[in-house]
Amino acid sequence: MNCEQIGEMMSARLDDCLDDAEMAILESHLAACDACQVAWHKMQALDRLFTSAPTVRAPSLFRVQVIARINRREQARRTLVGGAALVLGTVALALLVLAPLPFGLLKTLGITPALIGGGPETLAQILSFLNALAHTLLVLIEPLAVPLVFLGLCSLGAALVLNGLWIGAVRRLRAA
Amino acid sequence: MTDEAEWIQLAREGDQAAFGRLVAAYQTPVYNLAYRMLGSAAEAEDAAQEAFLRAYIHLKSYDPQRPFSTWLFSIASHYCIDQLRRRRITWLPLEDEFALPVRFTSANPGPEATAARREQQDQMQQLLDVLSPTDRAAITLHYWYDYSYQEIAQTLDLTVSAVKSRLYRARRALAERMEDKAL
Repeated sequence: MNCEQIGEMMSARLDDCLDDAEMAILESHLAACDACQVAWHKMQALDRLFTSAPTVRAPSLFRVQVIARINRREQARRTLVGGAALVLGTVALALLVLAPLPFGLLKTLGITPALIGGGPETLAQILSFLNALAHTLLVLIEPLAVPLVFLGLCSLGAALVLNGLWIGAVRRLRAA
Repeated sequence: MTDEAEWIQLAREGDQAAFGRLVAAYQTPVYNLAYRMLGSAAEAEDAAQEAFLRAYIHLKSYDPQRPFSTWLFSIASHYCIDQLRRRRITWLPLEDEFALPVRFTSANPGPEATAARREQQDQMQQLLDVLSPTDRAAITLHYWYDYSYQEIAQTLDLTVSAVKSRLYRARRALAERMEDKAL
């Protein structure tokens, strides 16, 4: 058995994990090997040092700080979910307001009767409608670019203001 | 059902007061583990708080068949190991310019004993600094929590033979460091 293996046995000996046969091997080697004897004494000194080591106590108010940390995390999560719900709600509202536009176009281009009647002409008419819609939108958007951007920015601003008001309301409720 | 099992059950149902009782019961062991791992009172406080936060978030995934302490120490150990690995240069603690004082569990030891204890404390932390994060965790769990090889293996997701090897290598490294410092 080499000194490296004996070293591992020394470590196991400190943990009372050697059987009688292994103990005999270790003791026999230590009696014959000065280097391992020195190593064994060092390990024992180390073991005494760490075995007598004190436990460091948690700071006062630690529990309070942990609970506060949990509450901050819960609040941040609620704010995120609430903000996302508010933004989605604003987008849904905007879509509802703009919904009559495509239906109006459908009626104007005469696609609605074909859609209701069905038949092989329907697909061709749908494609024709989409093509016409794209052209119409391009024609419409060009003069309306500025107002549309303005409307978009106002909607974004309104969503942010409403989000801020909601967060403020939640905070006031929490404080209460 | 023991008190602890009752607190865990209530905490899983969202009872924050029950979780607070668990924190009170384990705050010192978790903080001590973090301090031994990170070597800094400020970092240990943050790490211990984070460990409890993670335990709270994942409480529903805790298996009641397993000791709660093992599960909690596993969370704390892995977080501390990650923190040590993130330190860019070495495993030495960051300079603690305004080092927070640490308190020990034994009460009223007297000024001389306190000074001797602090010196021993500093010596031990300097020794622990030479170890890798996982070896440091193994040594800490063994000496401060009297964990068996099996318990250390469960806490650190290692095999028992890996734990034996790590403890041996860690002790050898610590013994060499002790000799260097004595010289």
